[in-house]
Parts: sequence; structure tokens; C-alpha cells
Amino acid sequence: MFKFFSAVRKEFLILSRDIAGLLMLFLMPMAMLVILALVQEFGWNAISKEPQIPVVFVNEDRDSLGLMIEQGLKQSHIFRLITKIDTSTVTRELARREVSKGNYQIGVVIPAGSTKRIHRKIEVLVTQLMSRITMPIHNPFAGILSNDSINIIVYFDPAVKGTFKNTFMSSMREFSLKIESTMIFKSFNDELQRLFPQMQYGMQDYKPSVCFSEIYPSGEKEVSIPNTTQHNVPSWAIFAMFFIVIPLTGSIIKEREEGSQIRLHTLPVSYLKNFMAKVSVYLVVCVIQFILMVLAGVFILPLFGIQSLELDSHYGLLAIMTIVTSLAALGFGIMIGSIARTHQQSSAFGTGAVVILTALGGLWVPIYFMPEMMRQIAACSPLNWAHQGFLDILLRHGTFITILPAVIKLLLFFTVTMGFAGIYRKFKSPFGTR
Amino acid sequence: MDEKPIIEIHDLTKIYKGSDEPAINGISMDIFPGEIFGLLGPNGAGKTTTISILCGLFPPTKGTVRIDGMEAGTQMDEIKRIIGVVPQDIALYPSLTAWENLTFFGNMFGLRGKELKDRITEGLIVFGLEKHSRKRISSCSGGIKRRVNLIAGLLHNPKIIFLDEPTTGIDVQSRVVIIDYLKELNKKGTTIIYTSHYMDEAENLCSRVAIIDRGNIISMGNPKQLVSEHPEFNNLENIFLHLTGKELRD
Repeated sequence: MFKFFSAVRKEFLILSRDIAGLLMLFLMPMAMLVILALVQEFGWNAISKEPQIPVVFVNEDRDSLGLMIEQGLKQSHIFRLITKIDTSTVTRELARREVSKGNYQIGVVIPAGSTKRIHRKIEVLVTQLMSRITMPIHNPFAGILSNDSINIIVYFDPAVKGTFKNTFMSSMREFSLKIESTMIFKSFNDELQRLFPQMQYGMQDYKPSVCFSEIYPSGEKEVSIPNTTQHNVPSWAIFAMFFIVIPLTGSIIKEREEGSQIRLHTLPVSYLKNFMAKVSVYLVVCVIQFILMVLAGVFILPLFGIQSLELDSHYGLLAIMTIVTSLAALGFGIMIGSIARTHQQSSAFGTGAVVILTALGGLWVPIYFMPEMMRQIAACSPLNWAHQGFLDILLRHGTFITILPAVIKLLLFFTVTMGFAGIYRKFKSPFGTR
Repeated sequence: MDEKPIIEIHDLTKIYKGSDEPAINGISMDIFPGEIFGLLGPNGAGKTTTISILCGLFPPTKGTVRIDGMEAGTQMDEIKRIIGVVPQDIALYPSLTAWENLTFFGNMFGLRGKELKDRITEGLIVFGLEKHSRKRISSCSGGIKRRVNLIAGLLHNPKIIFLDEPTTGIDVQSRVVIIDYLKELNKKGTTIIYTSHYMDEAENLCSRVAIIDRGNIISMGNPKQLVSEHPEFNNLENIFLHLTGKELRD
């Protein structure tokens, strides 16, 4: 143990001599967390709170349907309607041109007479239906469906992402269905009023009978609604922790290039001890990184109007997850450092591998959005195990048993990568005699 | 010599991956306790490869090595306890001071406390480095680095010392100090295996030399004896040039 502690001291001294590097190790992940959380939060605000997305809107209808869609889009707080460009009122052709040039991403045209056509269609439907009800037949709805549909034109910039397009179209369908059902109710109401003037129906005041309650089940506890910070902090923290691969591999390769590794291999000490000393020192770095990122989530993000990270007294579980995640990242770094021959190789491969594992691990795009095959691949990413473990703690309020599978998988990953590094060094490295 | 060799090398061969020619080609020799044995040869002759195998840095392709009665392939851990290695390149941590480097390497040999402190201090005094002990290696001159590199390999008082061109690239003063110290150590019974390009240094220091070229031993013996056997060449350098030729090497 004495030799191990001496190696730890040496690693600590080397690391502490590079103050700039050390500051970058601690401050960069914090800065990354804050910046990415801000970008994500404000990006989300753009489509959830502030009407930021401009939509070129042409209301040729100038009647109920057009006005109600216009009102609906405005009230959604997602879109900003553009009806004039450079003092010119937007026309169908101008809207098409502006969207095709990419000046605007969406254009909506409500064709002239849409309201009249929808009214006519509903009136036909209601009148025929009421006449059948008042003169009973077996099925009053039979044979009164009309194909007289109204075609609202939506222009999309080809650069618009599919998911965003789908969101917009869903909103439009929701508005039009709402408008249509309101019109049907009003029409029925008017017809019934005409037939039975003494009755008060009030059908136009009909409110939807289906509503939704958002519940986040978690054992037997009552759980507050998870905020974006609860998602963001663990995601970016894991991402940053795995980037320890770069300085760690750098340290291994530097030792090789500077020549000190030659002497290390002539010492009566297992090289594994040197690796473990590196792991111990860099483990402390990873843990400090995580603590700083958590502190940023708790104290810095609220300064920018973002919800604070709620730890909910899960300190013990968070400590366990942080340590096993760090070990997995360090094992990965030791493995790459053993295989790579140059700084260029290690940094290119290390960065690429971390980014790929992050993407696959569902840290950027949730894995439930991925196709089945990608989900199966994601299940093999150590970053996914770590992510699930942290989400189990912070969002699902899990216990030690809940995170145990993630803990075991990450520890196994650490063992396998360290074992691989040892075997590779033994059989492939020019110094592989121990 | 009747004495049992401290290093027995038999049919030692090393062929590097991707190379057709062996770096060392079936060399055999014995080195006896208390010798200062010089491995001499032009660049690429196989000196560093031989020393690296003896130190356990990598295994040979063929052949056996026994050091102090121990098999190099299976008892390297035990062998590493009794050998000291001074590599050709500076094998120190540049961001650590001389003292910190020596403390770390001393610790790795199990030295600690007062014993380690005394040995580091002694080494620093012998090599005139007391005032440089707290300087980071990265800010030291080449000569200081070489001397610290040497102390790091000798701290644990090894029975056998391997020195790979320890005096390359340093001033005459540093060379003299190093050579004198090696002689001093040898007087105390330490076996020294040493490579160099300086023939005069080898002639003056070594009790025996082996001249290696293209992986083969082409001559071996006491330097003075070698000179007397070739009266037409009045020193070791001329013998060396005669045996290895004047052709430039990579």
C-alpha cells in the first residue's frame, strides 16, 4: 500500500502542477452544463413560452374559421403570426415565395370562403340529421356524409425538421377540429332552437369532457413534476465525466513519451499499481466535477431563471452513482490510453467514442425516440446505464435496489476495461513484461 | 575466472515486429560479479536492445538470461529488486522537482523515511545537485537531468547497474563526476554493465568490453588486452573502427 500511496502522491503532484489544466477540468464541465442548460431552456422557451417562431399567415377567408385559427395560433404562445412583410400585406404567392427562400419556415393560407363552405357542410349535415330525427328512421346518420372538405395550405421550408413539422401540424389539426366541433354544436343549437324555440339548450357552451392529469408515479412517494434541470444536470454531468478520458489518456501517453514509463517498467512494482494510482487521483477529479455541476444546478442555473436542481436528500445514492460512473469513465480512459500510441490517436478516438456513446446512451435524444435496433445498442452504452441510474435517483426517487443493476453494469465495465488494458499491455506493448 | 557469473546470456536473439533482420543475433556471454562490463558498438548495433532485455523491458525472441541465478523470464520481479537501470533517455517526470522524482522512485524500491532522505541527499551531494533539488526537472539543464536520472537508478544500492550511454550529451565535468562515482560503486562490489560511444571512457573504465555490430559480438575481452593483441592499433577506438568499419550507420 505504501508504494500505491506514493504513486497516488506523484499523480496528485503532477496534476496539481498544471493549474490551467486543472481549472479547465473543473470549470469547463460547469460552463458546459450552464450554457447547454440555458440553450436548451431558452430553446424550449422559444416554442413553449414566448411566441418566437414566425409563421407567415394569409387569411383569405376573413371569417370565423380564419379568425379562429389565427386566434388559436396566437394563443398557443408558440407562434408569431406575420401578416405583413415590408409594409406589404402577405398574399398567398408572397407567403409561398418567402418560405421557399427560407426567410420563413412556415406559411399558412386559409383559402377564401372556407368558413362558408364549412358552414354549408355542417348545415346540410345538421338539417338532414334533424329531419330524420323528427321523422324517425332506423339510422338517422346513414347517407348524409359529405366529402366537401376545406383545404388549408401549409408551406414548409424544406429545412424544417420533421419533428417540428409534426408538432405544428398536430396543433393545426387540433385547432381545426376544435373549430369544426364548435361550429357543429352551434349549428345544432341553432337548428334545435328553430325547431323548439321554447327550449334553452346552451350547446354552444359545451366544454370537452375529457381532460388529462399528469402524474409521475414513483413507488409510494408523491413526486413533484420533474423539471428540465433534473434531466439536464445528470445528462451533462455524465457527458463531462466521461471526458476525463482525454486528460487521463494524455497522462498515460505523456508518461510514455517523456520516458518515465521506461523506468516504471524496470521497478519492482506492478504497472497496475500505477494505473490504480491514476484512477484514484482522477476519481477525485471526477467526483469534484460532479459536485461542481450539481452545485451549478442548485445555485447557478436559478440565477438565469432556470429551475433549481432538487436533490431530495438522495446524497448517498448520488455518491454511489457518481463513483461507479467515474470508475467506468476512468476504466475506459485507461483502456484507450493503453491502446493509443500518440496524443492525436487518443484524443481523436477518445472524443469520438465519448460523443458516440453519449448519443447512443440517450443523453441527447431520449432512447424512447429511437428505433428498436438503436434502443438495443443504447442498452449497451455505459453512459446509458449511468444516465438511467441518475434518473432513477433524481426523477424516479429509486432506492439502492433500483440503481443496483446500473451500479453492477458500470463496475463490470470498469473491471473489463481495466482487464483489457492490462492484457493489451502484457501482450502488445513493448513494455508488456509485467 | 572461477567465479560463478552474475549474468548468464545464452543464444539471445531479438527480432522486432516488422523487421527482417535480428536486432541481436544469438549472442552469448557471461558477466562476473564486480565487473564493469562495456557493451560497445555503432548506432543500431544492438546494445540498447540487449540492455532492455536484461532489464526486463521486453522479452527476447529466443534465448535465455539468468541474473544472479534467477531466470529472467519467470523471476523478473525478484531480478528488478537487485538491479538499477539508467536509461539512455531521461526517464523522469518533468513537472516534478529532482527531490520529488527521487522520492517517488526511491519509494518504488521500498525506501522511505530517513533512509531514503539520506540516500537522496548523498546522491545530490555527490553529483553537486543540492541547490537544484527543488527545481522542476523541466527547468533543469541537460547535465542536471542526466545526473538526476543516474541517481534515480542507484538510490536502492543495486547489486547490478545497467547504464545505457549515461554520459551522452553532457559536459566534461559532469562526465568525470559520473565516471568517478561509477568507479567508486564498483569498488564497493557493484557490477556495472555500461554502453557508450566514448571508446576512451570505456577503455579507462571497463574491466571487459564486448564489441557488438549488427547484432553479433565481434570481439570481447579486457580493453588493454585487446589493444595489446592488436599492436597495429594503438587504442580501443582504432580497434573498434577496424572491426566495425568506417561506414556510417543509421
